[in-house]
Amino acid sequence: MLITVPKGSLMLNALAHFERAKPQLGGDVEARAQALQQAELLGLPTRRVEAWHYTDLPRLLNRSASSSDALTVNDFSALKPHYLVFENGHLSADLAQLSAEFVSPDADLSADAMTLYNQALAENGLTLKLDKSPEAIVIVETKGSEAQHLMHRVRLSAGVKATVVDDHAALGYSNVIWQVELAADAELTLVHMQQSGQYVGHCTVDLATNAQFKQITLLTGGDVARHATDVNLQQSGAKADLHSAILGRAVSHNDVTYTINHQAADTHSHTTSHQALADSARGVFQGKVIVQRDAQRVDAQMQARAMMLSSEAEINAKPELEIYADDVVCAHGTAIGEIDADALFFLRARGIDEASARQLLISGFVEQLLTHCDDSALADVLRHHIEQKISALTLTKLEAEHAV
Amino acid sequence: MSALLEISNLQAAIGDKTILKGLDLTIQAGEVHAIMGPNGSGKSTLSYVLSGKDGYDITGGSMHFDGQDLADLQAEERAIAGLFLAFQYPLEIPGVTNMTFLKTALNAVRRGRGEDDMDAASFLRLAREKSRALGMDDDMLKRQLNVGFSGGEKKRNEILQMAMLEPKLAILDETDSGLDIDALKIVAEGVNAQRSPERGMLVITHYQRLLDFIKPDVVHVMANGRIVRSGGPELALELEKSGYADYRAEGVAHA
Ligand SMILES: Nc1ncnc2c1ncn2[C@@H]1O[C@H](COP(=O)(O)OP(=O)(O)OP(=O)(O)O)[C@@H](O)[C@H]1O
Ligand SMILES: [Mg+2]
Repeated sequence: MLITVPKGSLMLNALAHFERAKPQLGGDVEARAQALQQAELLGLPTRRVEAWHYTDLPRLLNRSASSSDALTVNDFSALKPHYLVFENGHLSADLAQLSAEFVSPDADLSADAMTLYNQALAENGLTLKLDKSPEAIVIVETKGSEAQHLMHRVRLSAGVKATVVDDHAALGYSNVIWQVELAADAELTLVHMQQSGQYVGHCTVDLATNAQFKQITLLTGGDVARHATDVNLQQSGAKADLHSAILGRAVSHNDVTYTINHQAADTHSHTTSHQALADSARGVFQGKVIVQRDAQRVDAQMQARAMMLSSEAEINAKPELEIYADDVVCAHGTAIGEIDADALFFLRARGIDEASARQLLISGFVEQLLTHCDDSALADVLRHHIEQKISALTLTKLEAEHAV
Repeated sequence: MSALLEISNLQAAIGDKTILKGLDLTIQAGEVHAIMGPNGSGKSTLSYVLSGKDGYDITGGSMHFDGQDLADLQAEERAIAGLFLAFQYPLEIPGVTNMTFLKTALNAVRRGRGEDDMDAASFLRLAREKSRALGMDDDMLKRQLNVGFSGGEKKRNEILQMAMLEPKLAILDETDSGLDIDALKIVAEGVNAQRSPERGMLVITHYQRLLDFIKPDVVHVMANGRIVRSGGPELALELEKSGYADYRAEGVAHA
């Protein structure tokens, strides 16, 4: 399926959108109006806001249409999942009898502009409160071409284990918030796959004692993908595994930003990022690890790697440590390189043509993400998605480069 | 009939540095040749130049393999034509499993030779059979290519690739280094299994011991970018005793 990514953002016209949507919006409409007013006062975050230093959102949302792209259909059927589909902000199908009753966002006027816009305009979202582990994984698919604001909540009671996949293939602008709360010993795996549109996502995760959060993020296309995650390791033994991969193509702007707050002793975080950037794609990695004064024996590891596939591509990587405790093990590293010429020769010396050898090395790089995915059927879906995107990449860019 | 490999007066440089300085070597089908020579004499460079690695300037001479001028062929085309290099330092490729790699390589070579892809079940059977014959764990096929493999495991894996691809000419660059004595025997058996009247081998080694297991027809001494002496298997024994002192001098004298 070949589609054209529609441009023009309703964000620039939030008031009109609000007036139109008002009749359908639930909750306290007055509070929503206040949130909107405050959001408009703050305006879209500019590069002057530290967390947005490398992602100039107003400019990116205003770019004129340039890319057309094929959507990859992710087939999760082997996983027999619960399925929810949000289309243009509406829950268009609830194929499993999964309760998804939406509760309007709480108003918090001290929030940042993007959250305020979401508070004002979110009309739907997943509400998942689980007291026991579900048998199947939950897929949240987002599609459609209109602007949408979604507010998802996941709350796992003590000891509950669940996997949620956010399959984002919406073509327009999306402002998506995830609020995750994990009680003691709860374990959530949250997979984000984003391949289209202008996507701004913000995920906040609070972890209690020994809770575990694993996030697997795969950004493979579209125009803008900003995926920010704030993790609060609030009680001892909590653990966060945050792994992301980006396959940046055309003029896509891809941003993964983490703020990991170790608030208690014996908490752990492990972050990896693999960004392969082709054409004029831009990648951003920001990772801020904060270790509070009383958070002793914290182990925080962060590793960001980038593979530059074109001289026009760009990467901004900024790992940061803010450590107030003294007994901690923290490390971060950044490695930026190109396709390794010796590795390329090794493959070619085994009869593999240059284009295929490059493709193999790129998929090997990106698929290191999958080493963190314990569910092999889920890993297969991710792998298939990556392979599809890489084959598109090779046809458009690498051959063109070769012809020069 | 033309020789399997015919190199004459080959000269090759990297940047300003000339490494191969007029090298002659002819290998007939069915023959095993060994090259010995001091560190830095250009043995690995020869193997890379033959296999088509980028970055070398061929400044003189010629290389013909099985009647084809190698200068006309890309690295992958040389592999398809039947040339194989077992690397002195095999590369680690993260994220690509050994299995995926072997299958991609085998099918690339088959396609290049006008054959169909091997079906998945036959491939699996073949890979298991060949890897077991080399004393490798099935697990090593599932692992990422050479990542975390021990030195000896990497070398066995090179021979596994050779066994899968069935080349006409295999160049083994110090395949014996890093192997324990048992592994050396197993690998040598794997190599000997490939010997046939149609195939040739070029074995680069520093040690006579390998040549006890893989009996060469001809032994060459390489020094300072040239073959400076050739003889029978007894030459290897002689070198083991007396070292390269004479050849270093000779190399310099010819430079
Ligand atoms: N990329 C390069 N740039 C500059 N010099 C090089 C390069 N590669 C090889 N050389 C030089 O060429 C010479 C031959 O190297 P080569 O690796 O072929 O030796 P060798 O005979 O295989 O040695 P060894 O027995 O130690 O494996 C050496 O002096 C080496 O330093
Ligand atoms: Mg060498």
